[in-house]
Amino acid sequence: MNGAQIILEALQREGIDTVFGYPGGANLPIYQHLPEYRSLRHVLVRHEQGAAHMADGYARASGRPAAVFATSGPGALNLVTGLCTAFMDSVPMVVVTGQVPTAMVGRDAFQEADVVGCTQPVTKHNYLVTRVQDLPRVMREAVHLATSGRPGPVLVDVCRDVQQASCEPSWPEELDLPGYRLPGPPDRSRLEEAARALDRAERPVILAGHGVILSRAEPELLALAERAAVPVGTTLLGIGAFPVRHPLSLHMTGFMGTGWNLRAVQEADLLLCVGMRVDDRVTAKLDEWAPRAETFIHVDIDPSEIGKNRRPHIEVVADARAALGGLAELVTPPEPERRRLWLTRIERWREEHPLRYLRSDGQLQPQDVVIEMYRRCRDRAIVVADVGLNQIWAALWWNYDRPGRFLNSGGAGTMGFALPAAIGAKLACPEQAVWCVAGEGGFVMTAQELSVAVEHGLDVKVVLLNNFSLGMVRQFQDDFYGGVRSQVGLHVIPDFVKLADAYGLAGCRVERLDEVPAAFDFAERTPGPVLIDCRIDPEANVYPIVPLGKGLNDFRELPDEYA
Amino acid sequence: MSTRERLRVLTAVVQDHPGVLFRVCGMVRRRGFNIQGLSVGPTDQEGRSRMTLAVDAGHAEVDQVAKQLDRLVEVIEVRDLTEEPTLNRQLALVKLAVTGPHRDRAVAEVDRAGGRVLDAGPEHLIAEVSGEQERVERLIGSLRPFGLIEVARSGPVAMSKGIPKRIAEEVSHA
Repeated sequence: MNGAQIILEALQREGIDTVFGYPGGANLPIYQHLPEYRSLRHVLVRHEQGAAHMADGYARASGRPAAVFATSGPGALNLVTGLCTAFMDSVPMVVVTGQVPTAMVGRDAFQEADVVGCTQPVTKHNYLVTRVQDLPRVMREAVHLATSGRPGPVLVDVCRDVQQASCEPSWPEELDLPGYRLPGPPDRSRLEEAARALDRAERPVILAGHGVILSRAEPELLALAERAAVPVGTTLLGIGAFPVRHPLSLHMTGFMGTGWNLRAVQEADLLLCVGMRVDDRVTAKLDEWAPRAETFIHVDIDPSEIGKNRRPHIEVVADARAALGGLAELVTPPEPERRRLWLTRIERWREEHPLRYLRSDGQLQPQDVVIEMYRRCRDRAIVVADVGLNQIWAALWWNYDRPGRFLNSGGAGTMGFALPAAIGAKLACPEQAVWCVAGEGGFVMTAQELSVAVEHGLDVKVVLLNNFSLGMVRQFQDDFYGGVRSQVGLHVIPDFVKLADAYGLAGCRVERLDEVPAAFDFAERTPGPVLIDCRIDPEANVYPIVPLGKGLNDFRELPDEYA
Repeated sequence: MSTRERLRVLTAVVQDHPGVLFRVCGMVRRRGFNIQGLSVGPTDQEGRSRMTLAVDAGHAEVDQVAKQLDRLVEVIEVRDLTEEPTLNRQLALVKLAVTGPHRDRAVAEVDRAGGRVLDAGPEHLIAEVSGEQERVERLIGSLRPFGLIEVARSGPVAMSKGIPKRIAEEVSHA
């Protein structure tokens, strides 16, 4: 066997079935042998960033990792944004890049780049392989590291001569990673302490992050919330961890969270954060976050997240599922009367701070488009959003009741994520309807991947919320930067219906609300990818929003005169 | 918090792989910490190196330095010795351009400070001094008037005093 075959064999042995990749000078040995491995489905992308986002969407939708191939130098460097996106959001991915031959490393050879150096900050771990006999071990370790504990992308950079060198592979039975320890079961005494605190709390709130979804802890979260009668909010990435329509749901928290969620967080005497980083998009101004929380409990699988931003009173380093399951057993259900006051207050905040959007003056409001999508799909569809206003509209105006229904780049905020991630999600879950929601700004950053959707006949329905501008930046300029609209107009953009036609997919345009149902009918009955160019109100904004640098108490809502 | 209060002294046992130092330094830089002193050397176990780091935690919570180090796959064990009774040593080599009567006074000064003359030529002396950072700096300061032309200093090496409980138990069972 040569190195290329060992790489392919290793992926097959680890149960990886899909590779998103792009061939080039330094990974040609792998592509030479790829046809021998029939169980590996290879998807030829149009830009390496697309490959990383596709693998990302594949894993987020299914929980299973995919692989990514790229060549040396620019090929590998084009992955960096996609790696960062996956790393920030703890998404597993196994990346194999070609490197120049061993003897050329360090000589500034053609298409040489220090890929291990460049990708170190955006991978969970990475390797440069210069000896073929190391490959079986490295590939096994890479998959294990990517998928275990707090998941993340792992990159293996393999010199071209190593791909061609032969050796009898020795597949390790045991992994020897002395510096990599996975957390054991949660500390029982800490859980008991947390349960007693929950029992005592008058105004408890649970916030659930992506970790709850990654560890499939939704049933445990629901059990805990119902047993202890505690309202639950989620982060942007935690959407789906708790049913939005549940009476105890606080919907999304943070910088653009719902008013009733923010009021509850700010009034809570106990805050339990599970599987989340407590980052600045959740807390807004950290000093003013959850000021009345006498007890802050933080559960995370990664010890370094605990106390990184806010020091907890009770910390539990554990998998979210184990911790929530243990807590659900240990809490004492309160007398209904005890929670009535708190839940009633939240109910009142829900009425005082409803989600609302611009009263239509004939222009198409993006929220109406999302609501119409939801009316048709309910939770049968996967929605993959891009970054910007479209992302928050899709987050807030769709009732996600199940995990894995809403995918987006939360930590990195990568524009151009949605289309390739939607393609990955569709390949992972062919039975699911997949909707890609994007603004026209982010969409054109990776629009070339439409060819992949066409080539594979993927039923990915692209809903462009087209406001001819960089909408979220425009809103920030309007609201926080003195109203100076600077470089946010996208007046010259492609005719997206013609663009769809040029790529070989069907497209249509919508300018009024009454045209939306017909467009969705058209998209749903047309096999393969479809693009709907929705010309939305260019002044549509996201509300509520916390002004930059302010605390959650300062959230702003849509002014009454516009509602 | 002053730099002194933010300063953490840590030891890390790492896998002796190419690039480990780069990973550790890269992590420290990315997280906004700053390395004030660093030394690396082999341990008594094959394939393991031990690093001693003096790190300014910057605006981060002080325990973040150890936690972020521990997150690296090739870092096997991290100990934050800042709050423990610890021995901390540095080494310095000092070259002086000295002749004539200055020479004897310089040698006396090295002796007085507990250093050692390692090399002596007609126009120079090289002295070695080791000890805690303050002591090393004091000696260098006191030699400065004698024509100090070169200083080479190591980073710190640190070790906690006493025997960790776990090992003490193993020893008593042996």
